[in-house]
Amino acid sequence: MLASLDWSVLWQRIFHPDHEFVLALWRTIYIAVAAQLLGVILGLIAALMRMSRLAPLRLLSGLYVLIFRGTPVIVQIFFVFYGANLLLGVTIIPNSVNLGVFQLDGKAFAGILALGINEGAYMREIFRAGIDSIDKGQMEAAKSLGMPSGLAMRRIILPQAARVIVPPLGNEFNNMIKTTSLVAFIGVTELFQNAEIGLSQTFKPVEYFLSVAFWYLVLTAVWSVIQAWIERKLAVSERGEELSWRERIAAAWTPVAAWGRGAR
Amino acid sequence: MDARRRLGQGRAVSSNDLCVRAVDVDKHFGRLHVLKSVSLDVAKGETVCVIGPSGSGKSTLLRCINHLETIDGGRIEVNGHLIGYRERNGKLVEDSDKNIAKQRCEVGMVFQRFNLFPHKTALQNVIEAPLKVRGEAKERATRVGEELLARVGLADKRDVYPGKLSGGQQQRVAIARALAMRPALMLFDEPTSALDPETIGEVLAVMQELAEVGMTMVVVTHEMGFARRAADRVVMMDEGQIIEVGTPEHFFTAPTHDRTKQFLSKIL
Ligand SMILES: Nc1ncnc2c1ncn2[C@@H]1O[C@H](COP(=O)(O)OP(=O)(O)OP(=O)(O)O)[C@@H](O)[C@H]1O
Ligand SMILES: [Mg+2]
Repeated sequence: MLASLDWSVLWQRIFHPDHEFVLALWRTIYIAVAAQLLGVILGLIAALMRMSRLAPLRLLSGLYVLIFRGTPVIVQIFFVFYGANLLLGVTIIPNSVNLGVFQLDGKAFAGILALGINEGAYMREIFRAGIDSIDKGQMEAAKSLGMPSGLAMRRIILPQAARVIVPPLGNEFNNMIKTTSLVAFIGVTELFQNAEIGLSQTFKPVEYFLSVAFWYLVLTAVWSVIQAWIERKLAVSERGEELSWRERIAAAWTPVAAWGRGAR
Repeated sequence: MDARRRLGQGRAVSSNDLCVRAVDVDKHFGRLHVLKSVSLDVAKGETVCVIGPSGSGKSTLLRCINHLETIDGGRIEVNGHLIGYRERNGKLVEDSDKNIAKQRCEVGMVFQRFNLFPHKTALQNVIEAPLKVRGEAKERATRVGEELLARVGLADKRDVYPGKLSGGQQQRVAIARALAMRPALMLFDEPTSALDPETIGEVLAVMQELAEVGMTMVVVTHEMGFARRAADRVVMMDEGQIIEVGTPEHFFTAPTHDRTKQFLSKIL
């Protein structure tokens, strides 16, 4: 079976990526980052709305989670791309978005929007769990010192909640990197679409999808290192036992680490 | 001290001299009637200790004074300003988050469980509100913060995180933190009941000193020794009502109410 593998294609895809490929890789990265950022912002807003004194805001926050966690992402992506302009009667999804330094095409924009909105629903839950994990005496102490709610949230609650929020946030981003492959279906030429195009020209599915898997693996592995570093940064200002950066990476790469120690 | 003691004898005080004026305060938690038309005046510079059995509403009363709890009836004024509400067409409506925050700057609070910010050092805990709420310059806030830490005997702990401090030390930092806002009134909710017996004394000493320099204080406590040394008046609560008010001596020598006698016999 391995004999039938065309190693030169695989080698080519991994070590000598062409210009088109680099562009696709870059698209995957910026779509993932932008969608995750949007998700974090929407998730935080929705989490704060959930704690609002105003019932309609709480309801809206609940509906948001219900709808976007309750329907498939792919449906949401298609809906945003094909339906948003029609539904709202205004151009939400333009043909291209000019960001000064570079041109973002409308499909990628729709992809980011859909993935970000979907992600926000999951991030709301993560923020909620993080904020709820902080003793309510902290908010009371902050208020008793004359801090308005917003300031107390920003200076006292969120910095403490970050330790609870960041690990699942990291996992969400890991997921996001892989989920961006779905925007291939609305025609964004990212990693997956790039492989499909190559595949249709050469018909070497094994080589192409192995190399795609490899590159997603590289992205998520790099991310796990960055995540370990961030978590370490957060732990530094805390008292108590701290894992070193190496230990955190080891923990993130448990299978590899366990293997290295001779465990199964 | 004598002047204040005299104020405490139940003499009428002009409202200009009042720090806290709570009138007919009602508070429910669902069906539970926790404060039943409670009225309490605290004169400027006075120290009032609140005692009473568990669940009698002591904490709730204290928390209403800085609007950590809303009230259902009556009104509470601190230095002549209505707390938590504003009057609209003769009715009280809850004030905005911003205004309530401003009013709370006048009122310091010390909690049973300290509630220090664990992600900040002792000094950072103390200067956080002066910096971010009052907008003070960093050097000035730091200088004042260090003075306050020195005053509670913790100058050498300025860069230590709360997790590395003993309970008594944490509570003294919490007192310094509240004082950093230069409040006109300090509220203490059982400040020593989460402490080891050895460290209770150091916290009470700081509080007594505060009382002696004329800080207005309302202290929920069962430390009758502290009440005798520092309080001008003691207030006994039971089932959401103030049932007896008097000097500490009165409570030690001739409590009138049966519930008071019962309660004191348990804690003394
Ligand atoms: N947030 C709340 N929700 C519902 N009930 C509450 C709440 N806070 C207090 N209560 C109830 O109100 C009553 C008075 O409580 P409060 O904490 O004021 O009593 P306390 O006199 O401070 O008692 P303790 O000595 O135990 O601290 C109690 O029955 C308590 O269970
Ligand atoms: Mg209490």
